[in-house]
Amino acid sequence: MRGIQLSLNQTQKLRLQRALEQLESLSSKANSNASVTIADTIPVNYEDGVLKGHGTSELDGEVVATMCGVVERVNKLVYVRALRARYKPEIGDIIVGRVIEVAPKRWRLEINFSQDAVLMLSSMNLPDGIQRRRTAVDELNMRSIFEENDVICAEVRGFQHDGSLHLQARSQKYGKLERGQLLTVPPYLVKRRKQHFHNLEQYGIDLILGCNGFIWVGEHIEAKDPMVEDQVNKSEQQNTKSSKNFTRLEEQEQTYTPPETRQNICRTANAVRVLSTLGFNITVEVITETVELSSSLNLDIHEMLGSEFCVLVAEREAERRRLLTKKKG
Amino acid sequence: MEVEVTQRPTVLTRTLSCLPQHIHWPPPIALTLIPSSLPHYLPWPPVDIKPCEEDDSCSAISSTPSRSSFFPQALWVLENCLPPSQQKKQRVIYTSPIKALSNQKYREFKEEFSDVGLMTGDVTIEPNASCLVMTTEIWRSMQYKGSEIIREVAWIIFDEVHYMRDRERGVVWEESIVMAPKNSRFVFLSATVPNAKEFADWVAKVQHQPCHIVYTDYRPTPLQHYIFPSRGDGLYLVVDEKGKFREDSFQKALNALVPAGENDKKRENGKWQKGLVMGRAGEESDIFKMVKMIIQRQYDPVILFSFSKRECEFLAMQMAKMDLNEDDEKVNIETIFWSAMDMLSDDDKKLPQVSNMLPLLKRGIGVHHSGLLPILKEVIEILFQEGLIKCLFATETFSIGLNMPAKTVVFTNVRKFDGDKFRWLSSGEYIQMSGRAGRRGIDERGICILMVDEKLEPSTAKMMLKGSADCLNSAFHLSYNMLLNQLRCEDGDPENLLRNSFYQFQADRAIPDLEKQAKNLEEERDSIIIEEEDSLENYYTLLQQYKSLKKDVRDIVFSPRYCLPFLQPGRLVCIQCTKSDENSPSFSTEDQVTWGVIINFERVKSLSEDDASRKPEDANYTVDVLTRCAVSKNEVGKKTIQIVPYKQQGEPVVVSVPITQANFLILFLSSVRLIISKDLLPLETRENTLKKVSEVLSRFAKEGMPLLDPEEDMKIQSSSYKKAVRRIEALESLFEKHEIAKSPLIQQKLKVLHMKKELTSKIKSIKRTMRTSTALAFKDELKARKRVLRRLGYVTSDDVVELKGKVACEISSADELTLTELMFNGVFKDIKVEEMVSLLSCFVWQEKLPDAPKPRDELELLFTQLQDTARRVAKVQLECKVQIDVESFVSSFRPDIMEAVYAWAKGSKFYEIMEITQVFEGSLIRAIRRLEEVLQQLIQAAKSIGETELESKFEDAVSKIKRDIVFAASLYL
Repeated sequence: MRGIQLSLNQTQKLRLQRALEQLESLSSKANSNASVTIADTIPVNYEDGVLKGHGTSELDGEVVATMCGVVERVNKLVYVRALRARYKPEIGDIIVGRVIEVAPKRWRLEINFSQDAVLMLSSMNLPDGIQRRRTAVDELNMRSIFEENDVICAEVRGFQHDGSLHLQARSQKYGKLERGQLLTVPPYLVKRRKQHFHNLEQYGIDLILGCNGFIWVGEHIEAKDPMVEDQVNKSEQQNTKSSKNFTRLEEQEQTYTPPETRQNICRTANAVRVLSTLGFNITVEVITETVELSSSLNLDIHEMLGSEFCVLVAEREAERRRLLTKKKG
Repeated sequence: MEVEVTQRPTVLTRTLSCLPQHIHWPPPIALTLIPSSLPHYLPWPPVDIKPCEEDDSCSAISSTPSRSSFFPQALWVLENCLPPSQQKKQRVIYTSPIKALSNQKYREFKEEFSDVGLMTGDVTIEPNASCLVMTTEIWRSMQYKGSEIIREVAWIIFDEVHYMRDRERGVVWEESIVMAPKNSRFVFLSATVPNAKEFADWVAKVQHQPCHIVYTDYRPTPLQHYIFPSRGDGLYLVVDEKGKFREDSFQKALNALVPAGENDKKRENGKWQKGLVMGRAGEESDIFKMVKMIIQRQYDPVILFSFSKRECEFLAMQMAKMDLNEDDEKVNIETIFWSAMDMLSDDDKKLPQVSNMLPLLKRGIGVHHSGLLPILKEVIEILFQEGLIKCLFATETFSIGLNMPAKTVVFTNVRKFDGDKFRWLSSGEYIQMSGRAGRRGIDERGICILMVDEKLEPSTAKMMLKGSADCLNSAFHLSYNMLLNQLRCEDGDPENLLRNSFYQFQADRAIPDLEKQAKNLEEERDSIIIEEEDSLENYYTLLQQYKSLKKDVRDIVFSPRYCLPFLQPGRLVCIQCTKSDENSPSFSTEDQVTWGVIINFERVKSLSEDDASRKPEDANYTVDVLTRCAVSKNEVGKKTIQIVPYKQQGEPVVVSVPITQANFLILFLSSVRLIISKDLLPLETRENTLKKVSEVLSRFAKEGMPLLDPEEDMKIQSSSYKKAVRRIEALESLFEKHEIAKSPLIQQKLKVLHMKKELTSKIKSIKRTMRTSTALAFKDELKARKRVLRRLGYVTSDDVVELKGKVACEISSADELTLTELMFNGVFKDIKVEEMVSLLSCFVWQEKLPDAPKPRDELELLFTQLQDTARRVAKVQLECKVQIDVESFVSSFRPDIMEAVYAWAKGSKFYEIMEITQVFEGSLIRAIRRLEEVLQQLIQAAKSIGETELESKFEDAVSKIKRDIVFAASLYL
């Protein structure tokens, strides 16, 4: 119950406590004694050939932890997985970040990591899809792509030789995120999955679960096949250069977000908030379930943040897990 | 699919493959390719092909009869792609299959355009240049890693794209082409491939771009093909420059072939060198004669191809007496040689390979194969290009790569060992190698000489000399590294890659064809109408059963265990006559039979070595039987022997009949034995023996030949035998009762029914192939491989790559699973750096040395650990239904160079480690270079798991092996 800050009445408190206890009893206990704090010795049964991974060090011939967390072992590799830590990027992670600076040839992004991430101008596709090296003009136009405070979605490319973290935008589906909400949750609540981009069709919204704990809920944008788009664009560019400004205006009108979608965005965002308050893993399934629960109870969007709903979600989750373990058993 | 074909007789064919019209296509004039061999004096490039016009050029392939990567071709492409790209700040990527080739290309382009860079595993030069030369593997890993270069490339030129059929590496091309950025344009340069259209269609499909084929079969310098019969003297022109095959002189050539003696014949397969190398005692060897003749006729320079490194050197040694160079040339060679060797240390200059080579080179004779030190190889290439080497002994590797033609090309053998047997050269290989003959603008015609040491059919020769080039077929296969890399990125989907692969494309393409076939067969089947089909079918199945039972019985009776004691010489046996045509099986319960006499029996020597350990019961035997045969010769001169009934015309011949075989020829053993004379060579004795046979037969004509009773005489007690006999009896009575058996036309009817059945089964098998090809190719294997990754903890159940998977992602130059497992098992942790390097050498060494000494105990121990890990990995794969042979997988790791690499890491000199091991210098260097590549990948891997000690250990290892001659820079840089 640590960390959950809600104004609960007595019954709600009891119900929540019961639900959480139930959840705890259901979770696997295998690793419970493997948690360590800094300078704890990590027992190594087989003496030779132990690989000391992240969060470990050798001291007087013993392996000791350099972080608080849970000891994990893969074959002979021993490492400590921190429980509540900042985001630690891995190659291929999908992240959501906010631009904090436009620097020469690069943007700096806040991504909840111990340092700012770098997105090079050359690491993303140019808006017109053309393949070429970036010129000085491109550099001057960087603000037309992303400005300070823009929210961006990208993929972790890896650490460069100088130790800086580089991002990349492989395709058109990465890039600026507009017309939606950015939520910040503890990064450990977002587990790595095969898919981090989700399109909730029934609500007409996109959901991006950034591995860094930044979650984007926004209006759905149809991803076009870049190639087809390109071909069309090219011919259009040639023919209708004059009428281009006009089409831009038209486009802007189309960018109006209907109220239902806005409501859906808020509802989903609140679902994420509730889950994060409870400290539950955030996956697309749990989010949609929570959203459905709220609408089936005819709750208003703002009521979702009330303590009653929170307790309900906790109970629901406890029930679901109980059934799950029963089935397995 | 729209196809536009523009034809220019003999010079150029252009084909356009297009996709459906709903996409706006650029006009089809765009470029792209250029056959290499077009001479300068032709109006080339053809006026109507303008590359890089606007932006809408697209992919293309060139098919050329001789050198693909010929000087003008690649340069011409660049000339047209590079300047506009530079202007638009775009990049051009040029990929080639081999590092050495990349170096050469870099040199060549650098001279023409200054803005050129190079990236191979070994070196990186000017990575910011507009044109980057790299190996295809580097390009692929750039795409996986998302390098910025992929967003800047306008043109990707794939040289030698026919490498795609390479069993091991071909898949790299498919990956690269499928994943390539969709907005860039492609040029594919290739040697002649007959199915260029198919390839172009595929590119058009996966890249959504039209693809032009520019193709020519015009040869600027025509070729003449000669045959040199071994131990003969003189050349015979078999294919003239117009491409006409001359039968008469081919026959003459074969007649001039001095028949090899009996002793030689035994070593027929492959051990041919004896004659070639030594000749008859005192005579000059064939190869010497050949070179002498070539020099006399001024056919030099000449490249002599042979198919093994040792052979190559061996042949060059035969030339010891020959000197082809003038004094000033010798001085020249010496200067070039030593200025190249200058970069070596003094110790390395004393290497036997270096010091032995110079005298040979000075006499104008060179050797070129992959076992040479890379630097020597390059010196020889340079000397050859300068015309200072008149006679070059080379292996097949010399036939790919830079423009290095000669006037004459000699094939020292027409057979090649391809791993398990000696086979004829394929026409594709022949084309590739003969492409080196004839220097454009210098020679009027190129000359190809085939050294033949055994008879060959005119058809074989025609196939080889005039056949078409090899097809470009996909060699796609899955690897774990590929899967993990695909799984790791959000958009990546291995299934998508499979769907877009050339393999799938080729499979899909075959479907309409198969459908048509199946339909035709079905029609044919339905047109066959038989009266009383049901009862006939019943009879037919009875017959089939009867036959298979008979066969079972015979198999038991003639199993060596039972029948060996009865195969004495002189016993009469009943044998089946050879059927006149094998396509129509007989349907009566009676077979046409005859009688013969057993002369002898012997065990068949099988190829496997464990023959000796086999029990006599398990071995195969053949029986030599004297019987009457019809001997006839067919038009090719091949003898065919047919066993005929003894009353018919025929010669008495001894035939050997296998006793355990599907189409058993021996039916019964009789209890009668004749006394036969020992010497059966004269025809008369044989005739007499057969006469005796017929006497015996007539004596027993009434009551029938007394046969050996299987149960009483041969003591066969097995229950299965008794059961089969009983069932045969039951069936026989059924036949008698069967009404349809009395029908007069029963034989014909059965034949028709049989045909119908055959058709049905054919249709079934076609439908089966159709089903498998409509399904995603490799789908099952993909599943199985994913299972392996899950089982070993590389990915989770929902395909998220885990820590181990991330390590394996980094390893692309060695077996990723075994190496990752070794690493996670902490094997590298406590061993010394040198031992670790030595252990890793097992991953990069593939050649099998027959009598390599075992490494010392510590290393041996490590190697066993490696083998255990490998076996475990292989077993997991097998359990997950990946098709793999566990033991051959385990033995694919070779400990042969462990000692040498250990010494090298310890700091020994190169000549010292060459004393330890028997391998070729070049092979060892290549292995160590690859080892360094693996170490670099392991450094990345260690980084990703946060093991800093291991990381620095790998770095230490790199610094220990990366020195001196092994990593000497290429002369081309």
